[in-house]
Amino acid sequence: MIETLEPVRIGLVVLFVLIGLFFTFVSMTGVIRLPDVYSRAHTASQADTLGAGFALAAVALVIGWEGAGFKSVILLFFIFVTNPTAAHAIARAAFEEGIVPWTEGDERR
Amino acid sequence: MADDDTPPPERGSVVVPVESTSTLRTTVTHLIESAAAGEFESIHFVVLASWRRDDPETAARNADAERLLDRVSAWADADLDDAEVEGVEIATAVVGADEYLFGPGDYAREIVTYADDHGIDSVVLDPEYTPVGNTTLLQPLAFELSNTDLVVREAPVSRPTRRERLRKEATGKRFAALFGASFAFYLLLGDPLYWFDWLTGVASAAIVAITLSRVSIDTEPSFPRTPMRVLRGLVYVPVLLFEILKSNLVVARVILDPRLPIDPTLNRVRVLVGSGLPLMTLANSITLTPGTLTVRARDGDLYVQSLIPWARDGLFDGSLERWTRFIYYGREAARLPTPRERDDVAVFQGPDATEELPLARADGGDETDRRHTDTGATRDAPTGSDADETTEVTDE
Repeated sequence: MIETLEPVRIGLVVLFVLIGLFFTFVSMTGVIRLPDVYSRAHTASQADTLGAGFALAAVALVIGWEGAGFKSVILLFFIFVTNPTAAHAIARAAFEEGIVPWTEGDERR
Repeated sequence: MADDDTPPPERGSVVVPVESTSTLRTTVTHLIESAAAGEFESIHFVVLASWRRDDPETAARNADAERLLDRVSAWADADLDDAEVEGVEIATAVVGADEYLFGPGDYAREIVTYADDHGIDSVVLDPEYTPVGNTTLLQPLAFELSNTDLVVREAPVSRPTRRERLRKEATGKRFAALFGASFAFYLLLGDPLYWFDWLTGVASAAIVAITLSRVSIDTEPSFPRTPMRVLRGLVYVPVLLFEILKSNLVVARVILDPRLPIDPTLNRVRVLVGSGLPLMTLANSITLTPGTLTVRARDGDLYVQSLIPWARDGLFDGSLERWTRFIYYGREAARLPTPRERDDVAVFQGPDATEELPLARADGGDETDRRHTDTGATRDAPTGSDADETTEVTDE
């Protein structure tokens, strides 16, 4: 399927996948590096927005303006709606549990 | 007022928050009957405005409220004539239009203020009264009011059956909007040229619309407001994407470079957007941009954690808030001072802290305190020594 695409499109697809991978990597690093549940929630949602976002954009480019390509755009939309809701739910649950956000100078947890 | 035949012990005044519900008519009748029985000498019907007076498009909502109040007082007058009662005063008012009202606390406060101003000592609630869209506000509102000096009671009127509710014109428009949207979405996923998909689509959309039209659409769709909002929302999408990309890059740099400090703080912003969908849009936009995370929405206050000072400054400059106002209220409404200029911001942590960290105890009430102590006991030991935990210590 890929072989039939013109070079510019292949280039864009590769670029998008790489960008998506980069942000997923950043997000993963953030989850390991950052100190507490709140700051990790920040970075975990990064993987969804731009990581999955660029990957899906690449998918849409490969498939083109057909049913499935269109659906990947819709998928993107739903990720953008649900992702902040989920991140907020996690943060809110942590807050309700009385977890104090980490600040500079605190020990790592 | 002279009472010739019946000497009632005490005739007070009552305030009744109203909106267009199916039980409003019978609630009015109930009130007039109570007044006839000598319970009240004046009845105040009020519409609590969840909108703000200086927003565009509020003229129409104000007119709606006035129309509703006219209808209510006409009903009340008719009932008074029927009951042949003299000397019962009927008053109407729109209150609370000088700021957005969010939760039951805000509504209760407005009612109490009104009651105080007019020497009113009791409240009667219409059992179907839910001013904020379709969240079940009545019970929390009754609870909030029960903590005040006012005497609260629900009008003992029978609720309508489901069918009567669907017959309401208001529900019809919502039904049509939700049916149209879900049917369009169904065809988008399926094949719009295949007759079977039309058939199943109509069935699915009907099920969705019947079950959810009262749940998922909280303000009445209207022309041209709703299409304009959708269009302005489409303008907002690329703006939001650009913001997300920009802050993603900044945050990625902070995460990947160990020399750059991470300095998260929890902040409070009092946002000037309406309750419901506008607040949700703003809170979700804030969370979508990396570096800021909405932790709680307590009425108009958003508790937002910022990962780095850059993100906090962006938050306090309020560009997302202005965009949200642009979507929902139009371009003029978007011109307003930033939250920082309005002094609607606070920092809870770190060297710049301006307010004490309001942990769960800010919810008030015994239950929260108990739960709070529980979590304190089960939490890891090292966190207990943090400087920022003064609130915890006083609690326990």
